[in-house]
Amino acid sequence: MPDAASSFQRIPPDELAWLGTGPIPARAYHDPAYFELERQAVFLKSWIHVAHVCELPEPGCFVRRDLEFAKASLLIARGKDGVLRAFHNVCTHRGTQLVEEASGRQSKFTCPYHMWTYGADGALLSAPDFEAFHLDKPACALPRVALQECGGMLFVNFDPDAPPLRIWLGAYAERLEQMPAARATTFSQYSYEIDANWKLTYDNFQENYHLRFIHPRSGGAGIGGDNPFGYPASLGFDGPHRTQRIWSNPAPDLKPFQRAAAMRGLPAVAEQGLLDLPFGRDYLAFFPNLFVIGTPTQPFSHTVYPISADRSRGVVRLYWVGEDGNASTRFAREYALAQLRDIHCEDIAMIERGQKGLASGALDHIHFQSMEALCRHLFNEVDSRVQAHARALGERP
Amino acid sequence: MNQASTLPGGFSALEPFVAQWGLSGTARRAAQRTASSPEAREAFFEAASPLLEAALTWLDDRDLATLPPAGRRLMDLMLSLGHVALAVEIQGPDEVKSAVWRDRMRIDRSTADQGISSCSN
Repeated sequence: MPDAASSFQRIPPDELAWLGTGPIPARAYHDPAYFELERQAVFLKSWIHVAHVCELPEPGCFVRRDLEFAKASLLIARGKDGVLRAFHNVCTHRGTQLVEEASGRQSKFTCPYHMWTYGADGALLSAPDFEAFHLDKPACALPRVALQECGGMLFVNFDPDAPPLRIWLGAYAERLEQMPAARATTFSQYSYEIDANWKLTYDNFQENYHLRFIHPRSGGAGIGGDNPFGYPASLGFDGPHRTQRIWSNPAPDLKPFQRAAAMRGLPAVAEQGLLDLPFGRDYLAFFPNLFVIGTPTQPFSHTVYPISADRSRGVVRLYWVGEDGNASTRFAREYALAQLRDIHCEDIAMIERGQKGLASGALDHIHFQSMEALCRHLFNEVDSRVQAHARALGERP
Repeated sequence: MNQASTLPGGFSALEPFVAQWGLSGTARRAAQRTASSPEAREAFFEAASPLLEAALTWLDDRDLATLPPAGRRLMDLMLSLGHVALAVEIQGPDEVKSAVWRDRMRIDRSTADQGISSCSN
């Protein structure tokens, strides 16, 4: 197609030089000491995505979320008053973990050890022989963790002095509210553990430089014409967050069944108004470890939770409006999930290979080109926090 | 039940594939993609992909929640076909090497699994 030849204009590298152009210290991607500073200065100080409001539609609904970076298990519950709250999943008597189930619905939570019982609002309701403790029940409520919502996405923050979520999300809060995920009532999910640093993992999904090499078949529709790398149409930055607009291939190489599968999903998506949303080609990356994609037929979020310097857990969710209304919708949703999983499995193979290469310390530095600007921006934002925290502690960063 | 009547009328060509691919649960279908042979995937794709439009049209005329057993089998076959199509039509020679990594990505939840017990995959 002649139009395809003139569809793409590469972002000039000079426009991104403000992010720096130098090499990046490799130890930030494998050193346990650096990771410990990150844990304290980034993950315990940032709003971290943990759940979606559609998981907790009714009073008494709860989910348990274990966050290794905080060594914490959280209980997120909707109270009788309809308010969503997050608590440490820990009985205030002697610290026993309160809930083992991953999710459910119940009005009370009872510790199996000594039967201390809490409401979904975290208040201690009853405890056997409580008079013998010389305590007030209000002082024994479950410990709260800040929980706030934007665009249906729920975030927690372990820092009691954290700014409100909307201030943290900045200009991209309004965009998040216009993503398909903001309207979602359900989702499909797959998850994985990976022997790799969280930034190395997350960075894979911030650059398109690898697409043609790692996903020549599974990601073939997103590359081609005069944009053989599938580079983004535009990039943007706001505070610690960043965005890219995914390039629309004017002549995507869709296979016949692949095209039929996509077409089967379109009527429901169109009926729901999702084709008219303004950020349908956008990738929104929220510092430190969440990104959200607005593609109406395959809207998803991907969160990479750090476990240690060289181990992480990824959670991918495809967000949908309404249950499967008919067979075509069910088919298109399952195909979308399987297709995305095909692409991601090729990524994790390469990411683990990267961690193996870095682990020996053979490299002092790694390198980002201008079209890996989002990776560089993440490093800059992490490193400035790590450096400041190390200075405050009097440690070598 | 007569083997020839396990699917709605018009889809009898898919009877030989019901045992292997008529599976409930997204994770089970994904696991069968990995467990199957390339020949089995290609035979199913060749027989079933021309019937995708007709099958979904037949199913779309009915309420998913109250599908009769024959309809549920047809739905499950088409859902399996999606997984198989990715292997045959898209991944081709790359299917074998990516399968190992794909199976590490555990399917925790799927909208197609309403009312179906979960499967450890």
